[in-house]
Amino acid sequence: MENEGPRYLKDRKGYFPKDQRQRTRKRSREMEASVSSDLKKQRNRPGKMAYFDEVLKYGGMRFEELREFHKKGGKIVGTLCVMVPLELVNAAGARSVRMCSGYYEPVHPANELLGDAGLCPMVKSTLGRKMVSSDPLIDLIDLVAGPATCDGKMKLAEILEDWVPVVMMNIPRVKVGETSSDLWVKEIVHLKDRLEELTGHPVRKKALKEELSQWNEANQYWSEIQKLRRSERPPISGRDAMLVVQASQFDDIRRWNRKVKELIEELQRMRTKGIFAGEEGAARILLAGSPMIYPNFKIPSIIEGSGGTIVTDELCSGYRLMSDPVLVDGLSKKEIYQAIAERYFFPCSCPCFSPNDERVRRLKEVIKAFGIEGVVFHTLRGCHLNNLEATKIELALREISVPMVRIESEYDEGDIEQVRTRIEAFVEMIKARREYHRNPILEDVQ
Amino acid sequence: MKELFRGRNIRPFRFIVQLLGLGFMFGQMLGLPPFGTHPMLRRIFLPNASCRYINEAPTSCYYYQLQDGLTQGYTDVYIDVILMLLIVLMLIIALGRIWCSWLCPFGLVQEGLMKLRGSVGIPPLKLKWRTRTLLRRVKYAFLFFTVLLSVPIGIGALGIGGCQSTLALPFCQVCPAKGFFTVAQQLLGLEPWSTGLPWIALCSLLVFLIVGFFIDMAFCRVCPMGGVMALLGRFSLPWLRKDPSKCTKCRICLRVCPLDHDRVYEDMDADDVGSEDCTLCGKCVEMCPEEGCLTMMYGPFSVKSSRRPRKMGLWRSLGKKKGPEANNGK
Ligand code: SF4
Ligand code: SF4
Ligand code: SF4
Ligand code: SF4
Repeated sequence: MENEGPRYLKDRKGYFPKDQRQRTRKRSREMEASVSSDLKKQRNRPGKMAYFDEVLKYGGMRFEELREFHKKGGKIVGTLCVMVPLELVNAAGARSVRMCSGYYEPVHPANELLGDAGLCPMVKSTLGRKMVSSDPLIDLIDLVAGPATCDGKMKLAEILEDWVPVVMMNIPRVKVGETSSDLWVKEIVHLKDRLEELTGHPVRKKALKEELSQWNEANQYWSEIQKLRRSERPPISGRDAMLVVQASQFDDIRRWNRKVKELIEELQRMRTKGIFAGEEGAARILLAGSPMIYPNFKIPSIIEGSGGTIVTDELCSGYRLMSDPVLVDGLSKKEIYQAIAERYFFPCSCPCFSPNDERVRRLKEVIKAFGIEGVVFHTLRGCHLNNLEATKIELALREISVPMVRIESEYDEGDIEQVRTRIEAFVEMIKARREYHRNPILEDVQ
Repeated sequence: MKELFRGRNIRPFRFIVQLLGLGFMFGQMLGLPPFGTHPMLRRIFLPNASCRYINEAPTSCYYYQLQDGLTQGYTDVYIDVILMLLIVLMLIIALGRIWCSWLCPFGLVQEGLMKLRGSVGIPPLKLKWRTRTLLRRVKYAFLFFTVLLSVPIGIGALGIGGCQSTLALPFCQVCPAKGFFTVAQQLLGLEPWSTGLPWIALCSLLVFLIVGFFIDMAFCRVCPMGGVMALLGRFSLPWLRKDPSKCTKCRICLRVCPLDHDRVYEDMDADDVGSEDCTLCGKCVEMCPEEGCLTMMYGPFSVKSSRRPRKMGLWRSLGKKKGPEANNGK
C-alpha cells in the first residue's frame, strides 16, 4: 500500500482509553441482553425461537464456534450489505458475518473521531465497534466486503481499511440493464478472486452449486414463513421474523435451514390450534425504510407493544435478505456468476439505486397481498436516500389510501417516549378507521 | 441441486412435440410413408421451414410457394399466392409461434447446437442491445427483398422465360435448409449427384452452424418466417402473459431467454409480452421464480404458469446431511 499508516485515525493505539473499550463492551452486552429478554417476554412465542436468540447473542454460541473456526486457520469475512453474495463467501471456504451494527454505545467513539454528527448512526456504530473493538466477533474478521451503496457505507468501507483489508465493490447505482449488469458481474468475479486469495482455496463449481442450492432452500423456507405471516392472525411476530432472517447472516446455512424447518412446523401447528402472536385485532403494520439491525429493535418493539403487529417489512435487514433465489440456466462458470450477480442486483430495491420505481410498485403489491392497514416508514437520522424516497412513497400510498407515518430515529433511547406517542396515535387511527374502511383484502387471505 | 436448475416442466414435452413434427415433415426422407397425397393437402403450406427441396415433400414452407407463385407469373396468382397466404394466415392464427419453438426443425437444430455448446462449457456469446434491434429488422428486410426481387422476375416471366429460371426463388438460394437437404438426400441416395451442389446454400448452412453454435438461436433472429409470425403475433391464439404486479424485476427471464427477448423483462404495462423475438419456447415461464407471474396462454386458457422453485417435497429429510460445520470449507 502506498499510503502507509492510518488515514483517519492519527493515533491508532491509545486514542481511546482502555476503559472506554470496557465500557462499550459492557453497555453493548447489556443492551443486547435487555432487548433479548424483551423479545422473550412476547406472548405465545414459539419455543423454537430460542435457537435464533442464541445465534445472535452477544458473545453467544455462534461466536464461540466462529472463534474455534478462526483459531484453526479459517477465514471470516464481514459483509456490509445485502448485496454481497454469501454463497460465494461460503463456497470459498470462508464464513460470513454481517458487520452492520445495531448497538448504540459504539456510536460515541465514532462521533468523537469523525466529527460528522449528522452521519447515519448505523454507519457510525459499525465503525465504532471496530475502532474500540467493542465486540470480540468483530476482531475475528479477516476481510470486509463492502459495496459502495450509500455515501455512508462507501466511506465506512474506506475508513475500515485502516483496520482490516476491505474489498470495495463498485455497485452501479444507475440501474440501466446490460452495462450495469456487466460491471456488477465483474465486481462479483473480483470478490471471488479476493476470497480465493484469502482462503487459498479456489471456488469450485461443485461447492458453489452446493452453496447455491442451500441458500435457495433457505429462500423457500423464508417464503413459507412469509406465507404464514399473511394469515389473518400471524403466528409469528414481526420482531421474531426479523430475528430469524437476520440470524441467517451469521449462522451456518445448513443448520439454519434445519432449525427454520422446525420452526415452521411449530408455527403450522400453532396455526391449526389457533394460537397467534400479538394482540387480538392488532393493526396490521408494514415496516419500511432504513435497516433495523438486531439489537436495534426499538421501533418494532414500540409498534408491537402498542397494539400493532408487523405483518411484513420491506427492509434490507428483513424480507429482502431472502426474497429471491439464484436460478442458473447454463452450466459454465461465467453463467453461474452472472446469475449470482443479477440476483443480488436487479431485484434489489435499495434506495441507492436510480431509477427505483420498482420499490413503490412492490410496496403497493405487498400491501395488497398482506392486507396491510398502515405503513411505518422509519429512517435513521442522516439517511437521505430513504428520507427522500419516503416522500415519494407517501404520495403513492395516498393514492391507494393507506396511511403512513414517518419516524426518524437515532441510535439512543432518548426518543422512545416521543416515538411511542406517535405510534400509539397511529395505531388508534388505524383501528378507528376500520369502522368505515374495512380493508377488503383481508378477507381472501387464508 | 435440483431446484437450482429447476424441474424443467416444459422442455421435455416440447422436445417430444419437436420430434413428432420432424417425423411429420421429413419422415419420407427416411422411408416413412408420406403424409397425404391428395392435391388439396398439397395446397397447404406451413408457416415455417419444412423444406421444398425434399423429394416428395408432402407440403412445404410457404415461403417457397410465395417466391414460386410470384416468379411464375400471374396466371395462377389467386391459387398460388392469395389462397396460400390465407391458409398460412389461418395456421399462424391458430398456432402462432408454436410453429417456431415447438415444430420448426431449424429451431430444433439450433437448440441442439446450444446444448452442445453448453455441454462443452462455453458460455453463449451475447449480442449487444443495438445489434439485437438491428437484426430484428434484418428479417423484415429479407422479407421485403424477397418480394421485391420476385415480383419483377414474375413480370419478366410473362415475357422472357430465361431470367426466371436463373434468378428464381431468391431466398431459397441462401436458405441453409436447401443446402442441408440437397446434400443429405444425395448422401442418402435419394437424389442423383448430377443435380449439382447448391454452393451458396451450403455456405450459408456452414455459417448457420458455426454462428448458431456461439450465438443462441442465431438464425431465428433473422428468420423472415418468424418475422411474419411476429407481425401477426397479436392476432394469434398462443401468447405469453405477464402479470406485472407479481414481477420483481429479477431479470431471470431475460437472462435465460435464448433470443434475449427483452419485452418479457421490461414491459410492465402490456399483458402480452411475446411477439418480436419471442419464439414461445417457454423457458422464461419455467424459470421465473414468482408464482403466476408469467403464463403461456392459448387464447383465454392458461397452459402453464411460472411458480416458486420447490423441491420434490419441500420437507425432504435433512437429517442425512453431516454436522453443521462438517462439509464446508474444503
Ligand atoms: S430452402 Fe428454405 S425457404 Fe426455401 S423451401 Fe426450403 S426451408 Fe423454405
Ligand atoms: S424463427 Fe426460428 S423457429 Fe421460427 S420459423 Fe424461423 S427458424 Fe424456425
Ligand atoms: S423472471 Fe419473472 S419475476 Fe423475474 S423479471 Fe422476469 S417476469 Fe419478472
Ligand atoms: S421470451 Fe420466453 S418464451 Fe419467448 S423466446 Fe424468450 S424464453 Fe422463450
